[in-house]
Amino acid sequence: MNEIRRKAAGSAVWLAALLLVPPTAAPAGQGSRTVIDSLGRTVAVPARAERILSLQPELSRILVALGAGERLVGVDYFLRRFDHVIPLVFPKAFELPLVSRVGEDVNLELVLKLNPDIIFVSPSEAWLADSLQRKVPAPVAAFSSLGRFESLFQEMDLIGNLIGRRDRAAELVHFARAELRAIGNRLVGLDPGGRPRVYLAFYSSLLRTNTSYEPVTASGGLNVAGTILPFALGTKEAAVNIEQILSWDPDLILIQGNFLPAERAVTVESVLGDIRLRSLRAARDRRVAYTFGFWYWWDPAQVLLETRYLARLFYPRLFADFDFEAEGNRLYRAFYGADGVFSSISKTLKCEEWILD
Amino acid sequence: MTKRTGFWTLLAVLLPFLILVLSLAIGSYRIPPKELVHTVAGLISPSRHPDLAPAFKDILLHIRLPRLLLALMIGASLSLSGASLQALFKNPLVNEYILGISSGAGFGAALSLVLAGRGFPPQVAAFGFALLAVAAVLAIAGRSESSVVPILLTGVVVAAFFQALLALVVYFASPYALQTLFFWLMGNLALATWRDVVLAGPVMLAGSACLFLLRWRLNVLSMSETEARSLGVHVRREKILVILAATLASAAATSVAGIIGWVGLIGPHLVRMAVGADNRKVIPLAASCGACFLLLADDAARMIMSFEIPVGIFTSILGIPVFVYLLAKTKKVWL
Repeated sequence: MNEIRRKAAGSAVWLAALLLVPPTAAPAGQGSRTVIDSLGRTVAVPARAERILSLQPELSRILVALGAGERLVGVDYFLRRFDHVIPLVFPKAFELPLVSRVGEDVNLELVLKLNPDIIFVSPSEAWLADSLQRKVPAPVAAFSSLGRFESLFQEMDLIGNLIGRRDRAAELVHFARAELRAIGNRLVGLDPGGRPRVYLAFYSSLLRTNTSYEPVTASGGLNVAGTILPFALGTKEAAVNIEQILSWDPDLILIQGNFLPAERAVTVESVLGDIRLRSLRAARDRRVAYTFGFWYWWDPAQVLLETRYLARLFYPRLFADFDFEAEGNRLYRAFYGADGVFSSISKTLKCEEWILD
Repeated sequence: MTKRTGFWTLLAVLLPFLILVLSLAIGSYRIPPKELVHTVAGLISPSRHPDLAPAFKDILLHIRLPRLLLALMIGASLSLSGASLQALFKNPLVNEYILGISSGAGFGAALSLVLAGRGFPPQVAAFGFALLAVAAVLAIAGRSESSVVPILLTGVVVAAFFQALLALVVYFASPYALQTLFFWLMGNLALATWRDVVLAGPVMLAGSACLFLLRWRLNVLSMSETEARSLGVHVRREKILVILAATLASAAATSVAGIIGWVGLIGPHLVRMAVGADNRKVIPLAASCGACFLLLADDAARMIMSFEIPVGIFTSILGIPVFVYLLAKTKKVWL
């Protein structure tokens, strides 16, 4: 996945091509337009897609959020095995053919049999899009938010256009922007120097982090790893050592909490009980908490909830009215139209234990 | 013992510890030299230096020291095991891989990291499956343990089997859990703790001590079996004893640090190049050489980039050209 992201560097311009979309949707096969995907590839996409094969969970979630889950003709293994939201809001996905595990092993004959109008893959598997494109007639596009809100919104626009649901996409993008703006408005006037300094322990390891994570900055935090170089150009992932964490001395340590509790290799308890970290301010003040983090990129509802949740962690007084479960259910309802979705996810991930006193 | 021999023996014993002490000063958290000396003095005599900075104390005592001690012990154990197995199998390319130790440990760690979460410590699983792999080799090789070829061939088969099982676990793993596994498989000392030292250290020491005591026998075992028998050696029993001791040492090393390649080849070959094939000298010197090699590689892993690089990458990067150079320079193999 790292390599994937590396290859995806500099691909933020792909959305500009959306301007070419005709205002009214055309039937599949009639006309096409070109977009530039997250790998910088130029892809001719149909004006309208009825049969969509998405091997990229983030895009599958967006499709479902736009009410077009039925257009999915196949799924990948991550969505079926690990995703938290799809089983709750679109259980029919489990009846769809399993086309690949993580992209490296696409069942080509099955893809041809499914006859999709377009195939979405993740830019994480950098070579997959071109490799697949050489073998199947449908256009193959590699898209991902790459952990950027603007890219996520652009993806929603793209999918909305593709399935003829531009209004719904625009509505969701507008909603998401308003949510972020509402959080930002509460932070206006705060001393920029007083922002909590945060270390992110992601990817199942205390020593793996992200040099940039927008939910942290959008909620008024400062990522202490923002000053170091990632593994390679184009990726945001970095590996650090314990001494580096000690030298940063963050106010707060956030652990990727999207793993099921039993599958978490790093836990709040393990960090607080680590004798090597006891001199850290975050450990002394017991400011170690879970956050969601990537889960094969983002779930749009979850990342908005995460931003609000982080704002509550960073500024408890400003966000004293935050009700994790109610907020979660509200956001998931806005995106997926179902009630109680976050209550169920929260029960699985034990989110009720995440809030620090 | 001549003066010259005495000097080299003393150097071999002291050099790893000298590097260890110097390595205490290396790390991404900058500790001024004066503070470093003060903190070390405080750790030795707490009553005289009660004013130690907690961060400096924790870094030296709980991060650098256990890491360096593990590097020293793991380097020594892998090199010693490699030297012993090479002598036993009369094959200069034998190391812990060949008996399925690395593959077994990799599969055990994968099972633990990918499927069990925190339910089962990867170190324990890695150690258990490494032992299981060697047990499988010896069981399958059966009565032919006195001959090296069946053991080597069985080792290759068992290693391949555990590699396939590892691939199966990897295939169904979450991509996020996989990243932890990949770091483990590349060999890493970044998370070393005193617990690792306490749990794996005695096992490594026991295995290494056993090999050290058997160094005389290795000279006999590296002869032909007929010659060894004529000298009164119970070949089958002694070979199994060497294999088990090497397994204990290298499995314990692999279980706490992951798969660190080339240490078991570079150390023994450098030593044989310097002192010849006499295992009475090769075994202790290989331990010293391996310890120094891994300590220096770990220093490089910590120093070169702003982020942590798995030490296994460095041992390969350093090891491969050294090995190629040795082969090109000597054009012969000492066994």
